[in-house]
Amino acid sequence: MSEDRDELIGRVALVLRGAPALSPDLDARIMARVRRESVPGTWRAAWTAVRRPRELHVSPLAALAVAAGIAGLVLAAAVLSPARRGVPAASLARALAPDSLTPVQFVLVMPSAESVALVGDFNDWNVGAQLLQQASAEGVWSVTVPLAPGRYRYTFVVNGNRWIADPAAPTTVEDDFGRPNSIITVAGRGT
Amino acid sequence: MVTAPDAELVRRVLAGEVEAFAALVERYRPRCARFAVHMLGDAADAEEVVQEAFLRAYRALPRCRQPDRFGAWLLRILANRCRTARASRSRRERLVLLDDGVVGMAAVAHPEDRSAWREAIAVALARLAPEQREAFLLKHVEELDYGEMAEITGAGVSALKMRVKRACERLRELLQESDVRGS
Repeated sequence: MSEDRDELIGRVALVLRGAPALSPDLDARIMARVRRESVPGTWRAAWTAVRRPRELHVSPLAALAVAAGIAGLVLAAAVLSPARRGVPAASLARALAPDSLTPVQFVLVMPSAESVALVGDFNDWNVGAQLLQQASAEGVWSVTVPLAPGRYRYTFVVNGNRWIADPAAPTTVEDDFGRPNSIITVAGRGT
Repeated sequence: MVTAPDAELVRRVLAGEVEAFAALVERYRPRCARFAVHMLGDAADAEEVVQEAFLRAYRALPRCRQPDRFGAWLLRILANRCRTARASRSRRERLVLLDDGVVGMAAVAHPEDRSAWREAIAVALARLAPEQREAFLLKHVEELDYGEMAEITGAGVSALKMRVKRACERLRELLQESDVRGS
């Protein structure tokens, strides 16, 4: 019976491994879009990325982002105290920069963590793109990421496989698989 | 066919040789297309997310920390694009997936026809929970190990094993109901 079952799944997999019928010019269309891009990693590409239109919330969400940053700083200070040691918490803080990119500090307090990564819309959810550094023996992890104005979903990945929304972020949404995502809105200059 | 390793192709792209990216597209588009079609159940949606995934990978190429594992990195981007696409069209999908009788109907229409078997599989696959479908495809169709799957999905190995197990159980249940084997 077990072999019959495995055989059934094997035959399902065999069918699914067949090539789907998609447009024969798909590769060409992908490369046509790629060729319209600048070479990745160049200053021109960075400038293009910064200038790329994004969803921008000016008010009241912009004010909310600032409030979240301030709240995050306060919370970070609070959880750093010995009385709060060992309590999972996180904060994000932002400081206005003179250029278009705003450095945003993401902080997670988790003494039990062996590694913490930051994933989000801004790094294509790449677990290896932004690793938090352990800033203290109390388990404070942080990383600062320059972000263009816009609204981003993000989350922390602890020990490579545990997804944790930012406890200090005011807004949390679940993705399609029920995993927690936090939301940050980075305001533009003068907003 | 270009046989250069992924890491070399990535290095050449970053050095300004944009056409080296075409070799990566040729190498990984079949897997990406297959995964996206089975995740989304719609060819047009799949083509869109595959294009988007390659474009995002190209833009983010300087942040690819292990260029020798470009394929896994790309698949992670694609899996996320599929989730986003699914979320945006969830209402339409609910209209397509009618009820429990759909699998049976697809199967008995032409019981001797291999296309009925394929259709029954497609409908059964679409009826899995998204995370189970993702885990099943990565394990049994893309033949990844659980470590690679964890890296791509962000889920733990034990959770992934459970998702695969439940996906297999559900598929057996749905397909054995239909009595179409495609032999």
